[in-house]
Amino acid sequence: MKLYCLSGHPTLPCNVLKFKSTTIMLDCGLDTTAALYFLPLPLVHSPRLSKLPGWVSKDGAVNLEKELKECSGRVFVDSQPEFCLPEKELLDLSTIDVILISNYHCMMALPYITEHTGFTGTVYATEPTLQIGRLLMEELVTFMERVPKAQAATCWKNKEIQRLLPGPLKDAVDVWSWRKCYSVQEVNSALSKVQLVGYSQKELFGAVQVTPLSSGYSLGSSNWIIQSHYEKVSYVSGSSLLTTHPQPMEQSSLKNSDVLILTGLTQIPTANPDGMLGEFCSNLAMTIRAGGNVLVPCYSSGVIYDLLECLYQFMDSANLGSTPFYFISPVANSSLEFSQIFAEWLCQNKQSKVYLPEPPFPHAELIQTNKLKHYPSIHGDFSSEFRQPCVVFTGHPSLRFGDVVHFMELWGKSSLNTIIFTEPDFSYLDALAPYQPLAMKCVYCPIDTRLNFHQVSKLLKDIQPLHVVCPEPYTQPPPAQPHRSDLMLELQPPPMAYRRCSVLGLPFRRRYERIHLLPELARSLVPSEIKAGVSVATVSAVLQSKDNKHVLQPVPKPAPVPPSKKRKRVTEEPPEVLNPKPLLSGAVPLEPFLAMLHKNGITEVKVEETADGHILHLQTEDVLIQLEEDATHIICDNNEPLRKPGSELLCG
Amino acid sequence: MDSDCLSLLPAVCLVLADPKQAPPDDTSLEKLLDWFKELHSQSNGQVLLQDQPCLLEFISSVCTSETTDPAILSFTLKLTGLLAATKQGFHLLEEGGLLLCAFEREACYVCDLWEDASVRSGWLQGLLNMLKHQKSLDFICRNGLIKVVLQLQNDRSLFVASLANQLLVHILNFLTSSSTTNGSDAVGSSVSSLRSDWVSVSSEIMNAVVEALSSEDHPQVLRGLRLLSLVLSQCGEPIRSMLWKDVLVPLEVLIKRGSESLTQTLMTVLQAADTSARPVEELLEAMLGDGNRKECFQCAALVVKLEKCPEVSKRKATGIILLPLQCVSTQPQTEIETYLVLNEQLSQKASCISLLMQSLSSLAELAHRKFLFEDISIHSITSSVVWLLRMCSGQCPSSLLRINASIHLIGCCKVQRCGLDTLGALSVYEENVDLRKDIFGVLLDYLQSPDSHATVLKKTFQAAVRWIAVCSPFPDLLQFISHDLFPVLEKRMCDLRWEVRDSTLEFITQLTTALNGNSGFTEALHTSGMVSVLLSSLADTEGYVRASAVAAVGEAVTASFHHAATERNSSLLEKALTQMMIALSQDTEGFPRRAVVKAFTSWLKGSHPVTALESSLSSVLSLGGNDFDWEVKMHTLELAEVLMEKTLTCCPYIVQNVDFSEKTRLTQALSRLKDYGLFDLLFNSLLDCDRPVCEKACALLVRLRTLTAETADLDHSALVLNVCGNRWGDEVQSRYLNKQQA
Repeated sequence: MKLYCLSGHPTLPCNVLKFKSTTIMLDCGLDTTAALYFLPLPLVHSPRLSKLPGWVSKDGAVNLEKELKECSGRVFVDSQPEFCLPEKELLDLSTIDVILISNYHCMMALPYITEHTGFTGTVYATEPTLQIGRLLMEELVTFMERVPKAQAATCWKNKEIQRLLPGPLKDAVDVWSWRKCYSVQEVNSALSKVQLVGYSQKELFGAVQVTPLSSGYSLGSSNWIIQSHYEKVSYVSGSSLLTTHPQPMEQSSLKNSDVLILTGLTQIPTANPDGMLGEFCSNLAMTIRAGGNVLVPCYSSGVIYDLLECLYQFMDSANLGSTPFYFISPVANSSLEFSQIFAEWLCQNKQSKVYLPEPPFPHAELIQTNKLKHYPSIHGDFSSEFRQPCVVFTGHPSLRFGDVVHFMELWGKSSLNTIIFTEPDFSYLDALAPYQPLAMKCVYCPIDTRLNFHQVSKLLKDIQPLHVVCPEPYTQPPPAQPHRSDLMLELQPPPMAYRRCSVLGLPFRRRYERIHLLPELARSLVPSEIKAGVSVATVSAVLQSKDNKHVLQPVPKPAPVPPSKKRKRVTEEPPEVLNPKPLLSGAVPLEPFLAMLHKNGITEVKVEETADGHILHLQTEDVLIQLEEDATHIICDNNEPLRKPGSELLCG
Repeated sequence: MDSDCLSLLPAVCLVLADPKQAPPDDTSLEKLLDWFKELHSQSNGQVLLQDQPCLLEFISSVCTSETTDPAILSFTLKLTGLLAATKQGFHLLEEGGLLLCAFEREACYVCDLWEDASVRSGWLQGLLNMLKHQKSLDFICRNGLIKVVLQLQNDRSLFVASLANQLLVHILNFLTSSSTTNGSDAVGSSVSSLRSDWVSVSSEIMNAVVEALSSEDHPQVLRGLRLLSLVLSQCGEPIRSMLWKDVLVPLEVLIKRGSESLTQTLMTVLQAADTSARPVEELLEAMLGDGNRKECFQCAALVVKLEKCPEVSKRKATGIILLPLQCVSTQPQTEIETYLVLNEQLSQKASCISLLMQSLSSLAELAHRKFLFEDISIHSITSSVVWLLRMCSGQCPSSLLRINASIHLIGCCKVQRCGLDTLGALSVYEENVDLRKDIFGVLLDYLQSPDSHATVLKKTFQAAVRWIAVCSPFPDLLQFISHDLFPVLEKRMCDLRWEVRDSTLEFITQLTTALNGNSGFTEALHTSGMVSVLLSSLADTEGYVRASAVAAVGEAVTASFHHAATERNSSLLEKALTQMMIALSQDTEGFPRRAVVKAFTSWLKGSHPVTALESSLSSVLSLGGNDFDWEVKMHTLELAEVLMEKTLTCCPYIVQNVDFSEKTRLTQALSRLKDYGLFDLLFNSLLDCDRPVCEKACALLVRLRTLTAETADLDHSALVLNVCGNRWGDEVQSRYLNKQQA
């Protein structure tokens, strides 16, 4: 069993598991942080951004004026933002049989995998994952296509040139594998390959069975169990034990795993989501009270539902009930509506509301009372209805594309306004780099509800997997806080760590296989009881293995001799019923065996201890006998006269 | 009333003695017993028993019946003891053979009633009640009851065992006090000063203590120690010294054996003994040991708390109790590494937290008494506390690499709270002001941290107030307050948790009080926008927070009184007055309304006359006096009291004219009070449905009357009539009638 790690990002995983001749891709997350190297795409013409000077090396030798622009002391690529894809060269992606998706954040690279690699398999995902994933992809595509760029910048990627660029562009890795965003057609085609599954629904795929389990992180988010008759691999991706909107995490089914692949822990282990939510609210209230606006760059689904719910209660209590909230995204409407219809995927508290009947999320009431308004873009109705001070939720959290770029240009100059970062995916300082100097206040309250190290250690204690595989960063304290040994995984045996492009052989010994007996063969068996309740029978059969299924069939009879007319027809003789020969089982006891050899004149025996047993070298005969726990080999270089007596000696 | 009750007594006794009747509940029996006690204290037992022969019959019938309910028997035993507390009563009961019948050892075991704990407790209580004269003690000794009491000391019921202990102590005390009254010199005397027949009684009890201490049975040792500490703390000489002499050896053995569960009780014993005595000092020394035993930390924590304690022991205990703190938060020292037990305990979460809390609270206790540390500088101790607090918020590693205590401590609210308390307490050491930068730094970190629990923030505020008060003379403090503290406070006033908003406002109030008169602070309060944030907090959704906001605004206004009247100050006062009047008239909760009246009282009490208040005072008196909340009314009357004093004594609001006669001045002052509506308030409050309000109003009216009578050179009633247009008596009567009609 092998694990190919196509992404080293701990929360945007993309791994391929080869298990029993099945090739299973576990998630295909898209690392969008590469977008931070690019200039923002303004929706409305920005005189500031359009007048940026082009970059020319100090000695004038390299002139990339058209591709690179200098902005606030840093150099950015002036082109449509690109993303870092999962590794495509590590294995042939066309051989992938199935892709399992854990949550909508971990499927954003799907079109890159399914569309141009010859992929012919199936993608499994839950319905909310598919629908909200589709929204996020469509939003991404719209963000990009709304602001087309005439040409793509590629010269800077040239190794020789890149080396001369200022940091951090100089240090960007694998730039040639970066790709532009996909198209709507590719999204549609990729998503057409998705087969929907429900929690705990067992899907058979060849010899393995895959089962999604609720992971408690987002609507429809799942962990997966991949198992055969005798092996069980658990894949834990973004999971949460906090009481937020999704169904709680199912833990008990993860017990007794041979291997547990653990990804998607919290990216900010030092930030407690409750504390961050408190910070978010107090900073928001402070800004609004002082007459400023609040900008919240966020994804159009996920934490935003919890933020709106929290604000729904907070704003009234803070006497800010009249402050409008605006949610601006091409998919804002669908996101808010979708959240209300996936009742069965919600936590119990929200599910029960549906029967009252009440909308599960209070944002419905905010919309009804006109406190929350949503718009597909800043153009159109929004501009006429917009009222300040207000709170705006909009994407993209990287601040490189989407409506957020406009608000940064609009509000960045006033110290009354505040930008509050709640998504943990991007470094907020890097995100803000092209907007410097910035007068508006910046507050970083990353809200990451995924498991923290304390929770995960408790979980692992409960479910007791034999082996844990995890991204490398989880095996050491965060680089910024080397003394925090509580922020890493400390397990016995130590977890197997992976990084991008690692190929891990999983420490996994397959001991048993299930084999089917055909009825006619079973009929021919003659069991004889060797002790009470235990019967044995010798089987002579042909083993057929196909698609990981093994069947014992009767030995085909030799083709009957064509009946000659002369001979009388002979009735077939009944099969001879034989008592089974004595059978040997168990390990060979070394001392008695040596004594036996000695007795038979083999005196020069050199015994060597190995990890699995012993090797006996019969020096005169030049024969090697390997004694292992479950196998014995006599190696005697085709010396049949010697092998046979040896074998007989062994059988005692 | 008592005579009516007494007439009912025979019938009550009959009911109680009737086993067919269901017994009344314990409470009514207790009440009946209380009534007897009261009666007993008023008269003497003889009269009661002689007048009420039914009582003798009752006792006899209950004690001889085999079907008595345990509750009734217990009650009867207590009652019999009470009645036998006088010599006459004792004599009457003994004459009838009732005492023996009730308390004799064999009698107790009738019908398994003894199995009921209430009967055993009643038996002990009865003896305790009886033990007021020698005859009773003779009775106890003669009938061998001491043995039973000693047995009951080990009773399975904790109440019975504790009562048995009390009785034993009482007996011992009685032995010595009786000897004293008999004329012998008790203090410093020996056994010979006791009556010869009582020597055996005291020896029996004391031997029992010694035997218990030498026992191998842990609960028995514990009981022995408890009795010993009671005797040492409650008995006089010669019992104390006799017993002390006997127990010294077994105590030494116990201490050497070292058992953590006995530490607390052993320390109580040592505390009860004369701690300055040489043997106690040695025992304390032995208990503290070399600081490498589990129980020595608990012992050291207790020694630190002792008021009278040998200096040597206290220093040693201080050294030991600071070890956990130093071990976790200072640089590794080779000598500390030798403390194996400590290292082991610090590596486990529960014991690590408990040790550090012990260490911190002992340090706070020492700081509270301004203990002078000798072996270690107060700087280093304070730095350790700061380091520990940093570690608890995840910012620092623990110093000893082998002990990864920080894993247990990160985010541990208990240690954080305790550490902050200690840090606050350490502000008493003047030399610590050098560390103010570090201290304010860590306090600020806690205030800023999104993960700080509400209770931790509260403690941070408390510590900060103490340090700010200490550091107020330093010019860098204002810089810290306006640049670092105010932005955090502003955010905390928007916190999701009302508790945090509330404690922030309380803190601002305390801060303003502490820095009262500091013009720089007042300036910063205004320029940083804090004042407007305070004003907006007056509209908070939580009543408690609004109340705290009222207090904070009140204090901010007071602070501005100290400075020249500027446009800014008067605008603040105007805004505050408007919002407070709205709160007083419209707020649905009592706390903010109470706070408004209190703020007015505080302004009025201040040394700076504020003319702007005048227009609002009559409204405050009228609104406050008619409030539904009795506490608002009380506060309004307190405001009225201050107003009265100010107007009548110094009259700050009247233009002083030397030509005015005393009478004119008083008439003017009273007229002014009338204009404020003070008389309306007082007369209305006099008829209020809440008693404290009536009393307060009445007291104020009486004071006014006395004042006018003393000051005016003519008939005060004429003066009153002149001002109020009505005599007070008539006024009250007419208001009363109006109220009745309404």
